[in-house]
Amino acid sequence: MIDRSPALRHPARSPARSYVVAALAVSLVGGLTLAFLPWLGLASCALLFQLPVLLAAVEGGLGPGLMAAVLAAFAYNFLLLPPQFSLRIHEAENIVSVVVLIVVAYVSSRLATALRLRELEASQRADASGELAELSAALNAAPPVRAIEHALAFLTARYGRALFLPQDEIESTAAAFNSLEHSAAAWSMHNGDMTGHGTQIMPEARWTFLPLAPRRPGGGPIVALGQPGGRAVRAEGQLAHLQQLCRLIGQAADRLALEQARLDRQRLEDRDRLRRALLASLGHDFRTPLTVVMGELESLDHGQSAVVRALAAARRLDRKMDDLVGVTRIEHGGLAPARDAIDLVDVVADACAAVAPDPGNIALQSHIAPDLPFVAGDAVLLRHVLVNLIDNALRHARSQVTIDAGTSGGNVWLSMSDDGPGVPPAQAAAVFERFARIEGSDRSGGSGLGLAIVKGFADAMAMEIAITDAPGGGACFTLTMPARAMDGA
Amino acid sequence: MNRILAVDDEPAILRLLGAVLGRGGYDVVPASDAAAAMAALARGGIDAIVLDLGLPDRDGLEVIAAVRASSQVPIIVVTARSDVAEKIAALDLGADDYVTKPFDGDELLARLRSALRRARPDGRSAEQLVHGPLRIDFARHVLTRDNAPVALTPREFAVMGALIEAGGRIVTHAALLEKVWGKAHVHDVDYLRVVVRALRLKLEADPAHPDLIRNEPGIGYRLTDA
Repeated sequence: MIDRSPALRHPARSPARSYVVAALAVSLVGGLTLAFLPWLGLASCALLFQLPVLLAAVEGGLGPGLMAAVLAAFAYNFLLLPPQFSLRIHEAENIVSVVVLIVVAYVSSRLATALRLRELEASQRADASGELAELSAALNAAPPVRAIEHALAFLTARYGRALFLPQDEIESTAAAFNSLEHSAAAWSMHNGDMTGHGTQIMPEARWTFLPLAPRRPGGGPIVALGQPGGRAVRAEGQLAHLQQLCRLIGQAADRLALEQARLDRQRLEDRDRLRRALLASLGHDFRTPLTVVMGELESLDHGQSAVVRALAAARRLDRKMDDLVGVTRIEHGGLAPARDAIDLVDVVADACAAVAPDPGNIALQSHIAPDLPFVAGDAVLLRHVLVNLIDNALRHARSQVTIDAGTSGGNVWLSMSDDGPGVPPAQAAAVFERFARIEGSDRSGGSGLGLAIVKGFADAMAMEIAITDAPGGGACFTLTMPARAMDGA
Repeated sequence: MNRILAVDDEPAILRLLGAVLGRGGYDVVPASDAAAAMAALARGGIDAIVLDLGLPDRDGLEVIAAVRASSQVPIIVVTARSDVAEKIAALDLGADDYVTKPFDGDELLARLRSALRRARPDGRSAEQLVHGPLRIDFARHVLTRDNAPVALTPREFAVMGALIEAGGRIVTHAALLEKVWGKAHVHDVDYLRVVVRALRLKLEADPAHPDLIRNEPGIGYRLTDA
């Protein structure tokens, strides 16, 4: 099938001219043979009549060839065959010469046509691969983010309006589609087939939909190409070529996506590096001066309340730095909690020791039965959780903080009650947010990072934290922990 | 007078270490990097090392290994609190104990005293050790508290023996487990928790608020300073 698209145009021979040339050639041979008949003889003249037929069939195809054959047979019969200048055929020999001329015309025209068709296909293939190379060059030359745009301009210039439809974005991209075209586009996206105009699938559509890649789970992007002008129909060969062009665009799009992913990863790594640098800085650059401050304060007279207060503030600052490190670890998924057996007696004692030097008249009491089941968790994280809960309670209590613990079902609970203003129920969830402020309560000061860390670490260790009202009217934070199933030691 | 090699790359911390150690009655040899520390150690006369793990010229853990290759001089490591793995690695390499930044001066002095005691047992026989009110007789397999015998199971006795031997220094969970239960059980912290709880019930005045056997979260146990 011969393609007549602008890109694959080929000089077609004019049929009318072929017929005229055929008639002229036959007339010429007729004139010559008539003039030289006495010298050449009838047989040679009959052979000469094959020449114009051959010429017409090769150059003009079957039509001019057959016409030349008929004309030649007519001229041969009329001009040369006795009786000359009549159309009567007397002998079987003459009938044979007519038939031979017609067969020659037919066979040679078929051969020539087939040859020319192959030549045309070869040149079309050359055109097509030339165009692929051109598109490929255009895609490579374009800046990566604009590659698709350039490719669409390339298609639009050659084949008519081209639209890029990213997967599952038919609605937003082209309001120009009717419902059939929507279906055709969706089909193409999800099955990786060509659909719409010129194809086997929903050919009534006014657009041809070409997938950029073979079928992908979840669908892939496609290109929509407007119907050619007039009533022309895209031929199969052209569709195959267009499919190749689209695959090329698809590869460019994939490269673009890979590049994007690489950039994203790079950004993530940069951020990670920054985080590690920040953590290292907290560990070293901040703690070094703090160590000096605390060391120098310790060498002063502990009898002075100013020194005691300054030391307590410095320890608090140290704990806040632990919080900062902790919150970064929560945010970046840097927590890999152990699930060791922990004796609450140990962690509570350690946490109390870390917080207790805080001055103030708040009594900190813990009632932990020494025969509670062990809990499963990460000792370091759990210590941090308890330090923050105790710190929070001490800050809001009026006179005392009480730590209790017990079992319930397969869990161990630990509660931290203060006798401060309490947390309004509506705010109960909000206090665990970073830098939360409590509205409508005297429990001022907010929770900063401390309670966000309690929540984050508890979640990481599969523990639960809840707030209720303490019996004395303050807040009661209850941490519920999985008990550690024990096999005998 | 004991000479202590203090190694830290921060001049301010080095000064502070000098002041704290001087207050404790020690002679201080300062070094600001690993090379200087190794040189000072080679000159001799060092009784203990206080070593910051964050040194500019060499990883602190490597320094511990290098020192231990030729010397049993006590090493107290100074680390950041969050780094449990680093502390355990330092102890496994042969460090005697650690303090975390920002460290408490009195705590550092206490650690140093325990470590120096270990280095020079002051003529205590290996069969009998004393830690505060506790006296342990390994030959007769008896532990007394204020001269009253305490009935212990063999494992309880073994754990207590290891802690008293350490004399207030930290003993990692893994070290205790290996010593008492064997190599196959170095991760079975549960075993240790059960025995320590039983020991507290027998030895502590208030088992819910222990002040004899102290836990360092994620690291190990130590006896409170006698």
